[in-house]
Amino acid sequence: MKRIHKHSALCREVARHIQNQLDAELLSPACREIRKHLRRCPTCTAYLDSLKKTVLLYRRYPDPHVPAIMREKLFAILKTTT
Amino acid sequence: MATHLSDEELIKRAKKGDERAFTQLVRRYESLVYSFAFKVCRNEEKASETWQDTFVNVFRKLHQFDGRSKFTTWLYSIVTNSCRMKRRQRKLDKASVSIESPTESHDGSDDDPSVLTIPPWKDTPLDAVIDKELRTLLDEAIQRLPYDYRVVFVLRDVEGMSAEETGKILKLSVPAVKSRLRRARVFLREQLNPYMTA
Ligand SMILES: [Zn+2]
Repeated sequence: MKRIHKHSALCREVARHIQNQLDAELLSPACREIRKHLRRCPTCTAYLDSLKKTVLLYRRYPDPHVPAIMREKLFAILKTTT
Repeated sequence: MATHLSDEELIKRAKKGDERAFTQLVRRYESLVYSFAFKVCRNEEKASETWQDTFVNVFRKLHQFDGRSKFTTWLYSIVTNSCRMKRRQRKLDKASVSIESPTESHDGSDDDPSVLTIPPWKDTPLDAVIDKELRTLLDEAIQRLPYDYRVVFVLRDVEGMSAEETGKILKLSVPAVKSRLRRARVFLREQLNPYMTA
């Protein structure tokens, strides 16, 4: 039977850290332990990857274009507000 | 009119009633406002209404802008206020779920990865097109996120604002911004998880 990965207290700490920072500060010396843990723990690595991809997907969502008619409507409204 | 005039100069002229300067200001920021409004509302009609309300308010309130904050910070705060007013009028919050976790205040244990093994997510190559199916999924997931969290997520993670700027725009403390951002990320990840591991 496959051994089930058991969450350690460290996993919880790492999860909290990557929810807050993603991998933004992982290069700093203070995050040495977290880096070390990530190299060994596939669960935390997969978790970090999935959070980063979540953000990435929303960032890559295409920008909509402003419909030209809105501009005309806006300036028509502004003429009456003065 | 020259297009390279600074925001400050355009604002100064627009305040004096220079219509062309105001038009120029609208042109400069119309896409930013529309795209932000859309990302928060996730609906073209609501985004258009918010867009219009925003610029009507900019027009009315421009004399109140004192230049102490960045113009974009001021602009974003007008968009979020317009959006909030719209929601209040329409009571749109019904559909979103509560992500306030009752366990958080006791032991902070709300945020463990909730399964023992985390299945790896599909690759999302940088050049892959976000197709209609995925777009719908992203829209639906973020619409389930309560507005107060959604707007923080969009400002911080999508628009790339700092925690400090986001706090200024939403009149929130930096720790409140950080906590909402963390919960928003965790929530959205959970929403997308079934799709991304299928
Ligand atoms: Zn771990």
